[in-house]
Amino acid sequence: MASNQVTVASPPTDAISALKFSPDPDSTRFVVSSWDKHVYLYDLRDENGNIGEGKLLQKFEHRAPVLDVCFGANEDEIYTAGLDWDVRKIDISTSAQTVLSSHDAGVRSVVYSKEHSLVISASWDSTLHVHRTDGSDPSPAIIPLPSKPFSMSLTPTKLVVAMASRALHIYDLKAVALLTAQSDGNNPNKVEVEPWQRRESSLKFMTRSVACMPNDAGYASSSIEGRVAVEWFDPSPESQARKYAFKCHRQTSDDVDVVYPVNSLSFNPIHGTFASGGGDGVVALWDGIAKRRIRQYQKYPSSVAAVDFSGNGKYLAIAISPGFEDGKDDVLEGTVKIFVRELGETEAKGKGAK
Amino acid sequence: MGKKRRGPSLEEVLGRPWCYYCERDFDDLKILISHQKAKHFKCERCGRRLNTAGGLSVHMSQVHKEQLSAVDNALPNRSSLDVEIFGMEGVPEDVIQTHNQRVLTQFQQAEAERQAVTGNPPSGTTGTGGQPAKKPKLEHVSDLKKRLAEHKAKKAEALAGGSSGDATPTGAGQTGFVQPPASAPAPNQQFSYPQPYGSAGSPYQQTASPVYQNFSPGGQPHFPSNAQYTPTGYSPQSFQGTPGQPAPAFGTTPPPFPPSQQQPSQQQQQPVPQMHTPPQAAGFIQRPPSLPAAPSLPQRPIIGAPLVNAYQMQQMHMGHQVPSPAGAAPGGVSNGEKPTTTSATPFSSSVDDLISGAAKAADQAAAPQPTEASEEKATKKDKSKARLVYSDNEISPEEKMARLSRYAFVPDRCGETVLEEVLPAVSGTVRESDTVIDAAD
Repeated sequence: MASNQVTVASPPTDAISALKFSPDPDSTRFVVSSWDKHVYLYDLRDENGNIGEGKLLQKFEHRAPVLDVCFGANEDEIYTAGLDWDVRKIDISTSAQTVLSSHDAGVRSVVYSKEHSLVISASWDSTLHVHRTDGSDPSPAIIPLPSKPFSMSLTPTKLVVAMASRALHIYDLKAVALLTAQSDGNNPNKVEVEPWQRRESSLKFMTRSVACMPNDAGYASSSIEGRVAVEWFDPSPESQARKYAFKCHRQTSDDVDVVYPVNSLSFNPIHGTFASGGGDGVVALWDGIAKRRIRQYQKYPSSVAAVDFSGNGKYLAIAISPGFEDGKDDVLEGTVKIFVRELGETEAKGKGAK
Repeated sequence: MGKKRRGPSLEEVLGRPWCYYCERDFDDLKILISHQKAKHFKCERCGRRLNTAGGLSVHMSQVHKEQLSAVDNALPNRSSLDVEIFGMEGVPEDVIQTHNQRVLTQFQQAEAERQAVTGNPPSGTTGTGGQPAKKPKLEHVSDLKKRLAEHKAKKAEALAGGSSGDATPTGAGQTGFVQPPASAPAPNQQFSYPQPYGSAGSPYQQTASPVYQNFSPGGQPHFPSNAQYTPTGYSPQSFQGTPGQPAPAFGTTPPPFPPSQQQPSQQQQQPVPQMHTPPQAAGFIQRPPSLPAAPSLPQRPIIGAPLVNAYQMQQMHMGHQVPSPAGAAPGGVSNGEKPTTTSATPFSSSVDDLISGAAKAADQAAAPQPTEASEEKATKKDKSKARLVYSDNEISPEEKMARLSRYAFVPDRCGETVLEEVLPAVSGTVRESDTVIDAAD
């Protein structure tokens, strides 16, 4: 029965910071960024195009641990962000690395908007850098943030940035694109972009991850305190009344609830359900609309650092690495692993409300 | 810790239910069945637990439209769906036999190893406390004359030296053990003695010889001063500890703590020989009074020098570990060992008591960890009953990791991009790092 899950060969040698599938539905590639200063590119297909164990195609060395990675316009283009303060573009076919910009602190996350051809990076220097990839102007626009950003996610129209102090900004990507396009020329290229919405996180603790619904209706966020919130963009009271949060990734022992951080969220692009990965090594699938848990997979041996669905929603990749949540554990060899689950047709499908 | 009695008998081991799929054995059938449901018959799609592999197969195909090909978590050759297993039912005869065979060989191996390590006879032979006493006697008989002779000789020496050696006979219980006439021979004989204790815990058996060595050095300081006390405190313990051995043991031991002179010089071996002869008579007399006192001994820290000595003596005899620290501070050593040895031996009069005592000691020893852990939890949970695994609400795990030296990165500003220069970097950076540090502190 475990046959529908494969362990990817040659995983990173240190903790994993991010894992992303190519959004292209036909692609089976995914990239993994690691604290071992490398970005790894894997493909589930072998040379003959058969879906197999997943193999390492390439790895790209960086100067410092890499904190995030994402695919660009196609599956041969990736963007990386890391502790060397740089935002890089890597052309996979040529292995050429280009530094798009440098922040003033470690860069926590990077996302790519296909619709607007923007690469947006968020750094602990409390800024966003918006890079246009249409070749018009290489220098990024800098959007100041009120706090350190911890996670970022986008839809075709919106960008959600979750920050420290429970702050959360929702930007309208169209506005961002317009403003950054206008304000070129002077360096530094600071742009005050008023967020479309400013919100306070519905969760009382530090936001760990945020992920947008594929239907552009809302987003889910998770905190270090074993909780996930689901909210909608629509500011109308009716929509806002629908938001809710629930507890998860906890274990009760001796009357004490041991609460794990929810490290990663990912929506299934087809079914609109989402997966959460926690510090307890558990991955669970949720139906955010019906407010139900669809299933929960057997515990993995260490903390789940990242989860992501493939572009066609058929695969769920799970990256585990220990000690991620307390920041001091040594990473033992062989404890960093990547699993890819092939999902049954209805495995990630919501059950419908009862 | 965890010293139980002898370990299970072969019948018990063979009688344990075990899992066909993974060969693990369990305390009882219920546990086995719940194991199978959880590990082998659980649907990984929905978590439902079925009773059999067949049931799971049907469930998979009907509910999830998937074909179950093999049993989860099973040994390579046991993952077949063809065998219908429920608990111990349905296990093929040949598999049962191989399993039994395997258990049997393992058991024998373990037995042999234990014997090799402890020097104890096979579990079957070691009955309850009574038996051990006899063995010592037998051995004594063989060596008796020798010992007598030696003993007398030493006595004579001691007397000549003006030492109080004669009086010391109290060490009875020990002497029983010690009895090895010659210093060298001691080890062998000692092994046999341990048996009575053996029931309580293995430590004794092994320690026997080392004990003496330690014993004398530790005891010396105290004994010389109050030779008289020692006997009382001493005897009780030995008495209780070795129910079976009563008479012989007492008689022998008392003497061991003779004059100060002898002990220092002879430390290890000499005391022993002396003890042998005088002991028996003296030992008996003293016992009764000493007995009552014994139980309290372990708990009282150090009321009188004598008590301590006796205490230590016991520990040394019984505990493994004592030997190593040997010459060092006797008190410290004894303390360390106390929990297991003392509680177990002095109090219990029967083997059963010994066992339970040892078990308790084990429990107590085991206890600290859990309690500590719970305390930690308690402190951490504060607000609610929950304990956050990651509780820093200001600094993300990534930032913490980034601060570790192994991830340190110092950007060189003359880097690869022109853009770098342009950015208003420095001031921002400094501010950022400052705030971060503050928050952390």
